[in-house]
Amino acid sequence: MSERHHVIVGMGITGNEAAITLRRREPQSRITIVTLASLLFYNRYDLPQVFRGKHDWREFLVHPPAFYDDNRITVRRNSRVSNVDPLNKVMTLEHKEDIPYDTLLVATGGRGWIPEELAEFRPLMQGFGSFEQAITVARALPEGGGRVVMLGGDMIGLDLARTLIDTGHRVTLVAGEQTFWPHQVPAERRPAFVAALEAMGVEVVEQDSVGGVAQIAQGAKGLPARRVVFRDGSELMADVVMPFYGIQPAIDFMGRTGVDVERGLLVNPELRTTDGSIWAAGDVCQIWSQEENRYRFYYGWRNVRAMGEVAAGNMTGGNDAFVADQDEKLEIDAEGRLVSPFWEYA
Amino acid sequence: MDATDIQILIVGSAGDGTIAAGNILRQALAEAGYKVISFDVYPPEIRGFGKCIARMRATIAQAYSLKQQSDVMLSLDDSHAIPHVGEVRDWGAVLYESKPVANAPQGHITGHIRPGQIPYGCAIREISEKATGANRSRNIVALGYLAGLYGLPREAFHAIIDRQFKKRGAEVASVNRKAFDEGYAAGAGAFKLDDVAFGPPQPNVAPGTVVEMINGNAAVVKGCLDAGIDCFFGYPITPATTIMERLATEMPRHGKRLVQTEDEISAISATIGAGFAGTRSATATSGPGLSLMQEMLGLGTMAEVPSVVFVSQRGGPSTGMPTKTEQSDLNSALFGGHGDAPRIVMAPTNVEGCYRCAGKAFEMAEAYQTPVIVLLDLYLSNRYETVAFGQKSPFEPDVNKRPRKQDLGAGYKRFALVEGGVSPRAVPGDAGGMHIVTGLEHNEMGRPADSAEMHLAMCDKRLDKLKGALVHPDFTVTKRFGAMGKAAVGLLAWGSTFGECLEAMFQAEKEGIDCAAMKVVMLSPFPEEAVSAFMDDCAAVLVPELNHDGQFARLVQGTLGRKVVKLTRVPGVPMRVSDILGEIRRLAGRNLPQAAE
Repeated sequence: MSERHHVIVGMGITGNEAAITLRRREPQSRITIVTLASLLFYNRYDLPQVFRGKHDWREFLVHPPAFYDDNRITVRRNSRVSNVDPLNKVMTLEHKEDIPYDTLLVATGGRGWIPEELAEFRPLMQGFGSFEQAITVARALPEGGGRVVMLGGDMIGLDLARTLIDTGHRVTLVAGEQTFWPHQVPAERRPAFVAALEAMGVEVVEQDSVGGVAQIAQGAKGLPARRVVFRDGSELMADVVMPFYGIQPAIDFMGRTGVDVERGLLVNPELRTTDGSIWAAGDVCQIWSQEENRYRFYYGWRNVRAMGEVAAGNMTGGNDAFVADQDEKLEIDAEGRLVSPFWEYA
Repeated sequence: MDATDIQILIVGSAGDGTIAAGNILRQALAEAGYKVISFDVYPPEIRGFGKCIARMRATIAQAYSLKQQSDVMLSLDDSHAIPHVGEVRDWGAVLYESKPVANAPQGHITGHIRPGQIPYGCAIREISEKATGANRSRNIVALGYLAGLYGLPREAFHAIIDRQFKKRGAEVASVNRKAFDEGYAAGAGAFKLDDVAFGPPQPNVAPGTVVEMINGNAAVVKGCLDAGIDCFFGYPITPATTIMERLATEMPRHGKRLVQTEDEISAISATIGAGFAGTRSATATSGPGLSLMQEMLGLGTMAEVPSVVFVSQRGGPSTGMPTKTEQSDLNSALFGGHGDAPRIVMAPTNVEGCYRCAGKAFEMAEAYQTPVIVLLDLYLSNRYETVAFGQKSPFEPDVNKRPRKQDLGAGYKRFALVEGGVSPRAVPGDAGGMHIVTGLEHNEMGRPADSAEMHLAMCDKRLDKLKGALVHPDFTVTKRFGAMGKAAVGLLAWGSTFGECLEAMFQAEKEGIDCAAMKVVMLSPFPEEAVSAFMDDCAAVLVPELNHDGQFARLVQGTLGRKVVKLTRVPGVPMRVSDILGEIRRLAGRNLPQAAE
């Protein structure tokens, strides 16, 4: 048991929490984290700080590099998983390297989802899922105030909107079904929430009122860099256009494993997939909920961190069920501000 | 970083174009205005086996050696590069092939990159194939990626690529430009996360000088040419071969003669013969060749014939380590051969020194009528540095080309016992200059004579005349750096290792250690007074050198009868600055010299 090799795919809060737990529980085992990122684990929830002048990625690191050496955690950055062979317990990386594992934890999280009709405009939009993307947006906005057109407006985007407005930028939200994702705001309460957004300083354009986005184009010379054209013919100029339509699980590499998949990897409350050696945790998995009688996602930093800890515990002989630690409510406080535990990262 | 001080490491397999990529990069950095110091390591095999490494350090301030840690590493072959990943500092960059055809036995390099280092994967092969239809330009693509990532001036690279490949046709140059550009675009598009930053370079402002990127052997060649070399005789041997190769290109252009002889014995014999004839002549070899030349060098001493021998040391003995550096031929250069055969031996400490020593060697060989050995080593021979050369030769012209006395008169004594020991010299054809030259001990006329008195007188003469070399005009015999008064630790060094000593001294000074360093360029005759004065100032004297026994340390101790602390290494690569610094700290802590033996 002491020489087991635990492999974690994904280096977000879930993967890191799992690695730390694994090391604590099995001091002798090998632990490898495989990630697409170039950077070590950093605080993505803090990324809006780039608009407050925090541009050195080292300030976002949760652990110094020595932490990984000290804990004998191998980090394989810039590494994409192309296949997993559960029969032989071997994972293959895109650069054709096979990595044998004893247990595998999939903690790849999600990537920003973009509606199919907007996919062709992807090169003209800026994501916000990584430090690199955050800096790219910061550099694209003129000093002294630029304009951001935000499409969709999930909770990640709305958190960013708060900072952008605080730092002197103008934010226009093209609101639709995905606004407030992952919260599902009842129709009757939606006007109040939208009003709270407007009170926050966000300019809101309801997607239905303009017929949806018809085109995103380069701005003309001397004008802002982007032009968003709606189906009703109206337009918005912007320095940056950012899609925030929620996230979808990044599990392409699990396609040939035979484990059960719906939108995410399906796991039992102990976070084990239908393969006995593979676990999943974080935004990437749907967990069976006895109360709701369905597989469901859980979001929020506290939840995904707890999942990492539970999965690692179960990978090393435990048998604990995940219990959501963070509620997902979205409310308007006494001062008319939107508040949510989703935004409270510590 | 405030000022540019960036070391780049390129690692590949023989045949990957590692050294070629390094060559282009160092030239581009030099032409951009950075000071560059660079050293390549390559295997004895020609292709497909061994490891090739190109290391270069680009700075604004003068640097004296390579750094122990690199800022950027470019891998052209993971199996060779993986052992060097640890050489890259934290927040530095590791650039590698992201889509290898096969992985190294140790696995992909991403499994070895340390958490503090920044990985940059690039589909080097794919880009090369797309740009040129073949993967042969992988090294140029990778170079382009590096240049693009750090925003280095593309035009400088274009010019060098054109120069480098034009001899293989315009199309080859064009294809490589394209490969470079595609790599450059990929690098420029990458998100830069490391903290390596090239600051603005400083253009050369020294009036009347031209900056050249040049290695030690090329500087030797330039020194030979500027000193007016007439004849060169040589037999190829690593790492001295490129001296002959370059001279073979240059000398015919100047109406001079170069002959590749059948072996080293023939080469030194011809060199001495040409010297006897009154020409400036030289040969170049390495340790094994020097062994073969010893008997004839004795003749040169006995017959008092000027000749210059460049010796580039490598790991020995025997065939040893032909492509690794060492400083283990000092004893052979000083004392090799039979009998009391004093000679001038000098050792430059940097590339500019190679130029100056080469030119001055001809002057001294003539002035003191004796063989002169210029002792280089592989590290110095192959090390590139940016050097500002004057546009006019600093060397005295050949005395035999000056207006000469036509008639030496009756009673001419070629080996006259005169004050200072330097007799009037005749070359064949000088009226009245008829004399006998032989390897036998002789009298003032050159006739064989073996009386005890004559042998003693001639031994004294051959030794005493060399003392003039210690005060030869415009020649640095020794030079002191650092603390000019009393010092806790003094570094006494010779040859290429002196650069590492200086870097160690600078770091020791930053740590508050009173430290001084002296380079000793003239090894024979030994500058006793200067070295002794230096040792008087130092509580402890450390002698770092790349040989097993401490040959220079023994020379100092034997000559001066004073103890020094030896620091010897034989790794085949330059001495680590940290090793020297560690000893400095130890000695400074104790503040007393440690018994050397």
